[in-house]
Amino acid sequence: MNIPQQTAPDIGNRMHHTFIFQAWLVLLLASFFGAALASVQLTLAPKIEANKLNETREKVPELVLGAAGAQAMATQNRHMKIEQQFIETGTRQKKSYSIFKAVADGRTKGWVAKTSGQGYADKIELLVGFDSDAETITGLFVLGQKETPGLGSKINETAWRGQFIGKAASQQLKAVKTEPSKPDEIKAITGATISSKSVCDIVNQCMGDLRQPLADMASGDSVAGDMQQENK
Amino acid sequence: MTETPDFIEPIDNTPIEPPSLIQVGHSPHLSHASCSTQRMMMDVLIALIPVTGMAVYIFRLYAIKQIAICLAVCLIAEAVFVKMRGRSFSLTDGSAAITGIILGLSLPGPAPWYVGVIASVVAIGIGKVIFGGLGMNLFNPAMVGRAFVMISFAGIMAASGYESAVSGIDAITQATPLNAFKQMGISTPLKDLFFGFTNGSPGETSALACLIGGIFLCIRRTASWEIPAGIIGTVLVMGGLADLTGSPSGWTALHHLFSGSLLFGAFFIATDPVTSPMTSKGKLIFGAGVGFFIMILRFFSGYPEGVMFAVLLMNAVTPLINNWTIPKAMGE
Amino acid sequence: MADQPTALERFAQGILPENPVYRQLLGLCPTLAVTNSVKGAIIMGAAVLFVLLCANAMISLIRNLLKPHLRIVVFTLTIAAFVTIVDRFLAAYMYQMSKDLGPYIPLIIVNCIIICRCEVCASKQPVFTAAADAAGQSLGFTLGLVSIASVREILGTGMLLGFRVMPAAWPDWVIMVLPPGAFLTFGLLLGAVNWVVAKKSASGKKHQGAS
Repeated sequence: MNIPQQTAPDIGNRMHHTFIFQAWLVLLLASFFGAALASVQLTLAPKIEANKLNETREKVPELVLGAAGAQAMATQNRHMKIEQQFIETGTRQKKSYSIFKAVADGRTKGWVAKTSGQGYADKIELLVGFDSDAETITGLFVLGQKETPGLGSKINETAWRGQFIGKAASQQLKAVKTEPSKPDEIKAITGATISSKSVCDIVNQCMGDLRQPLADMASGDSVAGDMQQENK
Repeated sequence: MTETPDFIEPIDNTPIEPPSLIQVGHSPHLSHASCSTQRMMMDVLIALIPVTGMAVYIFRLYAIKQIAICLAVCLIAEAVFVKMRGRSFSLTDGSAAITGIILGLSLPGPAPWYVGVIASVVAIGIGKVIFGGLGMNLFNPAMVGRAFVMISFAGIMAASGYESAVSGIDAITQATPLNAFKQMGISTPLKDLFFGFTNGSPGETSALACLIGGIFLCIRRTASWEIPAGIIGTVLVMGGLADLTGSPSGWTALHHLFSGSLLFGAFFIATDPVTSPMTSKGKLIFGAGVGFFIMILRFFSGYPEGVMFAVLLMNAVTPLINNWTIPKAMGE
Repeated sequence: MADQPTALERFAQGILPENPVYRQLLGLCPTLAVTNSVKGAIIMGAAVLFVLLCANAMISLIRNLLKPHLRIVVFTLTIAAFVTIVDRFLAAYMYQMSKDLGPYIPLIIVNCIIICRCEVCASKQPVFTAAADAAGQSLGFTLGLVSIASVREILGTGMLLGFRVMPAAWPDWVIMVLPPGAFLTFGLLLGAVNWVVAKKSASGKKHQGAS
């Protein structure tokens, strides 16, 4: 733009130098966009939050009751009450878990825990379902994974995940390359032993950390000491 | 090969008149008329005979199938791509044939036919022709092709892809030695590794056959001895250290040397003159680098074997090694 | 302003002769990163269309108020605002897609196509021309993304937009949906486009010489 002349000290040129004159458009646009973004955020934030929550929540019935059970419940138009809580526990180190308590017909049907751990390529996020006493695993779901497509990504397959259903939560699961012969064995995916082992390890840690607290909570013992409840 | 003086940039292929009577280029000083691409390729083909023989003897039809597919598709691909680029016919230099045979020898026997076909087209097309043909490629074409199918068809190319219970050939029903060791800690006897009665890619199992062919290549100076020496030296040192410091696993430095595709890679793949450094010092560095990465991959990666990725990695730094080790001409 | 291209010219230019992906080589980060599925590529293209259309229109409206030394700030501010709107919108109404595209939606802010069009066209020409330019450039960008994504999705998964197009026996070329596949496909397609363009211009010259 015009460079103000040093020799013409009239008011107009003096104004050209001022901060406001140079930047008024930027300031105006900034406030306008700021207001626009604030209103967008206000309108959409609840929906985005709900999306994040639902992603986990809508899996809960299937993980606790099994696919058939959840289907039956949906057709009978019965609803499951899902309460989210946070537990901080851990045998080796403190870890915070997000727990979903599934309540139907006035009784606790089971629990779903959100957990994660290192996979072959990146973090694997899992949902693990337990029955009401946290004695057995009732379901496993992979929320997020970035394993090798075609190999490690097979941890997503229903058949493979199905192996975990019915396993006792008191044992340590092992991924084996041969056909499983013992109750604590899971058949590893061919060519993706590390991903399979990672899932087993994550589930093992989750079971170890949560079995006791969940069982305590189920029997109604007070565990207020290491648990903050947050009903939603 | 004609030597061009350093101070004239050969911009195109027109011969450059020597500016003075005395013309000194740096080594290697090649004056033999017999020292042509064709002669070198012929040597490699001869050196591959023992390896191919053992492969066919142990893996029978499996080896023949892979070699035939790769050889045929590589030759066809070379002819087609070269024609597309409007260059003269270059099949007679034998480089495509060698890429094909090495590729065929490095694929798992039970792998289906399309693996060899895709690997060969990628090897010649993306590995070589796109860079400008023989002599211009950055990466070893056969390994580019193999890496492509290895990542694409991980299930077929992974260690478990080598095993097939229905083959009727003893070797193929076992796990590969490296995989058996990595997964279950089972060591294969050295004698089997040395003669090659184990599972693996057809060309890699017999250490003896690789040594015979490889030593022939080194004596003929077609392959530079520095590269295999660098690889073998590094592997022995690192393998020895791992054996001494770790818990006794029965897997010695010699097991490391004779197992997997180490010797096949050291003598036939890493020594490709186009994709390895030019000077002796550079070749030793290159060999040591390949050996180092092989051992790192074998120890720490998810794969049982690392020769292919090690060679490709070192191919990528070859221009850098050249830059370090080629002596500067006077006055430059 | 007489020598500036008209709206129609701007629109047509963006699609092929000045295709952002194949001719200008702009916006390569999303080109390589989100092209492993056609659906992702289309959503990405739509997001760029929205941002570019809004940013171009906005800049064009205020083009006479712009001060040269502050114009980049204004461009960035405008683009960032619209990108944030798209990002929030996707998270609210297409949650899964927003998760799949990950950081590449927010990264539209630094996509040089948009700032380039603001600078080249919107800050000099009226709204209608700027909007036509935005539409043409985004269409060209989407075309580039979809062409790469189709090759990668078909070879890598045997499917297109989720429908099976290859026979059931097709072995998936997993490498094509991984990052190396993006570089390979883009390089080969770029080579093909250059080859066609070179051939066309050569034959065009011959034609001119003859007549």
